[in-house]
Amino acid sequence: MTDPTTLTDPTTLTDPTTLWHPVATMLDLPHRHIFHGQLLGREVAIWRADDEFINVWENRCLHRGVRLSIGTNDGTELTCRYHGWRYSNRSAGCTYIPAHPADAPARTICNRTFAAVEKYGLVWSGEDPIGKPPIVAALDDGTPFTLRNLPVNAPSQVVLDQLRQHRFQPVASLDANTARMTATEVNDYAIALTSTALTSTETDTTESSTAVFFVQPVDSDRSIIRAVLTEVPAQVEQLGVLRHHATALGKLVIAAETAAAQLPPPEPMVATINQVSLALSVMPEPMLDRQAPLRVQVARKWITAQDIVGFELVSVGDPLPTFQPGAHLDVHLPNGLVRQYSLTNGPGDTSSYRIGVKLEADSTGGSQCLHNTVREGDVLAISEPRNNFPLRRDSLRTVLVAGGIGVTPMLAMAQALKPMGLAFELHYFAQADEHLAFEEIRSELGDAVTTHVGLSPDETGAELARLLDGYGHANQVYICGPGPMLETARTIATAAGWPDQAVHFEYFKNTTEIDNSSSFEIALARSAVNLHVPPGKSILQILRDSGIAMPSSCEQGACGTCVVPVIEGKIDHQDVHLKQSERDAGDQIMTCVSRAAGDRLVLDI
Amino acid sequence: MTANVATTCTDPVILDQWHPLLPLDEITTDQPNTAVLLGEQLSYRLDANGDPVVWLTADADATPLPILVEYLYVWTCLGSPPDRLFAIPEFSEPDRRNVHAGTIGVHVSAPRAVENFLDMGHFPFVHTDVLGAEPHTEVVEYDVHIDPDTNDVWATECVFYQPRAATTSTEGQMSDYLYRVPHPFCVILYKTTPLDKDRMDVIALFCRPTAQDRIEAHMFLSLLDPDNTDAAIRKFQQTIFGQDKPILENQHPKLLPLDSRAETPIRADKVAIAYRRWLSDLGVTYGVIPVSPTSASVTS
Amino acid sequence: MIKLYDYELSANCYKQRLMMSLLDVPYESVPIDFFPGLEHKTDEFKKINPLGHIPVINDDGYVLWDAHAILVYLAAKYDPSGHWYPIRDPALLGETASWLLFAEGTTNTASAARLYVNLSYDFDIEACRAGAHRLFRMLDEHLWFREREGLNWVCSASHPTIADIAIFPDVVLSEEGGVSRLDYPALRRWTDRVKALPGFSIMPGIFPMGTS
Repeated sequence: MTDPTTLTDPTTLTDPTTLWHPVATMLDLPHRHIFHGQLLGREVAIWRADDEFINVWENRCLHRGVRLSIGTNDGTELTCRYHGWRYSNRSAGCTYIPAHPADAPARTICNRTFAAVEKYGLVWSGEDPIGKPPIVAALDDGTPFTLRNLPVNAPSQVVLDQLRQHRFQPVASLDANTARMTATEVNDYAIALTSTALTSTETDTTESSTAVFFVQPVDSDRSIIRAVLTEVPAQVEQLGVLRHHATALGKLVIAAETAAAQLPPPEPMVATINQVSLALSVMPEPMLDRQAPLRVQVARKWITAQDIVGFELVSVGDPLPTFQPGAHLDVHLPNGLVRQYSLTNGPGDTSSYRIGVKLEADSTGGSQCLHNTVREGDVLAISEPRNNFPLRRDSLRTVLVAGGIGVTPMLAMAQALKPMGLAFELHYFAQADEHLAFEEIRSELGDAVTTHVGLSPDETGAELARLLDGYGHANQVYICGPGPMLETARTIATAAGWPDQAVHFEYFKNTTEIDNSSSFEIALARSAVNLHVPPGKSILQILRDSGIAMPSSCEQGACGTCVVPVIEGKIDHQDVHLKQSERDAGDQIMTCVSRAAGDRLVLDI
Repeated sequence: MTANVATTCTDPVILDQWHPLLPLDEITTDQPNTAVLLGEQLSYRLDANGDPVVWLTADADATPLPILVEYLYVWTCLGSPPDRLFAIPEFSEPDRRNVHAGTIGVHVSAPRAVENFLDMGHFPFVHTDVLGAEPHTEVVEYDVHIDPDTNDVWATECVFYQPRAATTSTEGQMSDYLYRVPHPFCVILYKTTPLDKDRMDVIALFCRPTAQDRIEAHMFLSLLDPDNTDAAIRKFQQTIFGQDKPILENQHPKLLPLDSRAETPIRADKVAIAYRRWLSDLGVTYGVIPVSPTSASVTS
Repeated sequence: MIKLYDYELSANCYKQRLMMSLLDVPYESVPIDFFPGLEHKTDEFKKINPLGHIPVINDDGYVLWDAHAILVYLAAKYDPSGHWYPIRDPALLGETASWLLFAEGTTNTASAARLYVNLSYDFDIEACRAGAHRLFRMLDEHLWFREREGLNWVCSASHPTIADIAIFPDVVLSEEGGVSRLDYPALRRWTDRVKALPGFSIMPGIFPMGTS
């Protein structure tokens, strides 16, 4: 029986919140499992992602306090069981709130995480740990072998007190009961015990085994013994060794629980729950300027080429609206970004929308999110299809030129032209064969598709010059691809005699640096309103601020959605959407980036 | 484990409420049985006239507590009760089926259970393929108001897609919902029925708090369903509540925090936010974590 | 077709539903208004089972009650692999029978605690919970060593047996009775493995395996 007075005075112990404690063993974290743990009164959910990162999180969803340990681990995210909120591996940031699929979760919805370090086969964590997990020379010098952990309904110091009297046998003589024990204190929550026994009286040989016993303070009245042998026993001996220790520790557990029952029950530890930020504590306002009325589910997500993922989107509610070849969607991503993707669908096919998304190396989160976070079954908010890249279907010859992921609208156009019997050719430039996407659509188009793989910029220029050589009446060329390729194609087409009206292009993005330093007045002719556009604000923002509902999409002068007719005034065009002839005409402006060249513009709205 | 049962209630707002003790038809003898309310053990039996009587078990004089028989249940009060219980006029309509679907004990506070009952967002995840199904996860805007006459909390214009909304459903439907909170620990749902376009089924949860963090949840229905057996209706309702129970018992803390900075609301939680404010305004302290004076200054 | 006299929230009835789901045996569930109707105590029901409890099956005229007895019958009759109730392997059969007795223990402790909390049964709740923890502690150690031996199930076979099905519901529903499984990580991993079995089905109170 333990005399309670021999227990270490708790006031002399190191503050346990500043220490690293073992909270799990690596065996506790199998594939896609969520381990339910507790340390110093605080429950934690511990899960290993497919990238091997170990997450130690407070075990409650920030929304309604439900334990995350009853949720699901899909390898990259943990999903709460109650409302399907998803939290990302590593950051613990909320990536998706199914009740509001059109809204991005506030970036600051982030679970409380705790540090995690793997050492000696154990996962170490702590409330506010200083430095690194304890260094135990015997374990560093040896080859740690984790024993079975045992829960004990006793305070950690009662368990440690029992461990000081603990006995076990060295690996070489498990069945005897002859060992001498020596103890070395490691810290307030760990002790190393060495067991030495005579294994041969004839040769006077002794064997010894050392185990380090870490005591995890689960709560004021509960602990877990996590023991590690300093040497891995031979394979055939392992089960015997594990059972030997389990039996010995099993007795210790009973003794510790008996001793603890003599003590007055300690006050439970109280783990404080952090307040959420003021911004998160209020109900968010409904999203204004909602440009995404449609809800679609990702019915299929597949890799169609290296770094290019295809998405098939089906309606969650009403049938999908019709679209034109060349049309794009705004996809509102779960991370709050809005991105534009061209439809690859053939004509009349509104059973689903299919898009292709290239993982951009310099992605600011759009393609990253679609590649890594969005998955089959998710609901996305999208705009209705918009077409700023219309296809003429009265031409004698149509040349479609695609560079890289720019193939997507071209596939829609080609599929529209083919059944009409209009002559067309699709030239698809890509860096390598493995970058060629949508094989299933291209094979349907047959000989009309030519791929140009692995060409240098100069070779690409030469090939374009060959393709565009000889403009004929009612010929049209459509070009979609990276900026430099588009510029080259435009120059070549002009040189080859293609009139501006016959050359159609769609930029991925506007790479020109926008100069928004000017200030000017705009007059809205139809509503007789005058507004001031200060430096740093776009015409589009000023129109919206004054309550005018304005469509927009890319908001960088590439897509053409926010166009407004201009009645009077000189325009400082900064977009890449308008053709030179359209710029010269001076009767329309991309309100997201372009500005007045003078003091005033009169707009036809 | 049951330490909280011993904690008696000092919240005058809750002490003065009518609380649903148990269904009238479960008081069947003149021999006393017991039940716990607000940490107090009560005894009940039928008197010589066959009427229910309820008293504090610890009361040597067995002074009867006030009782009310309403909506199939015996209600009682440990303080000074109001004259009347909230009205459910549908209960008296002649073609209604009034069914007690069961009483289930849950280790959670009453307001957490009420708030879960008010929540549509969990349908696809907790009541999968019955009250909701992915991808129909969106909770569209609805309206919330406090009735100026009755002080009930109402959520109106609620719409949710449901694969199998009730025992009478054979296919998915957009269900229209109204929610009403007429009592801190009782909540009523009005729901479209496939059987009658102009009237609604009534489904209620009447919680008897046995401790701050424990309830006995009575499930009451008043339905326009002439066909299904009581057993079928009970099975459906118990299945639903049985799915909610493990969620409720995994909420931490078990008491409902009224401080707005304790949890993270979204727009779908509009009625929950109103309910929490309403509890605060009523001054309820039992079963909740009241807003502390220090945090009140930052939440205003 | 097999008729199962059934109550949705009963762990013992769920054992039969789960077994038939895993064996892909069609059955008809006859809902008994166990609570609050106490239909199993009616004279009408006692004509089916004079002991007045569920589950009961009627397989084309053959009537059987007692949850674990029904598991024996279902597996013996409907599992052509002979895995679930290993009649042809005496050693394993003995082990299975031994663990079925263990399951009587979990039913009388963990599941009894659940009936106390959920349906106000008059049991000694502290004794039920202490008994459940004693059994769970044993089972956790047992399953931990099974894992070390490269085995996944309660019995020493490469496949599950009816012992797993008899114990699983009592374990996985234990928290409803106030018996936490926080201290039993090997037990939690085993419940994940049961949930991953082809044909696994749920009941209210049991979450399905995550979508992965």
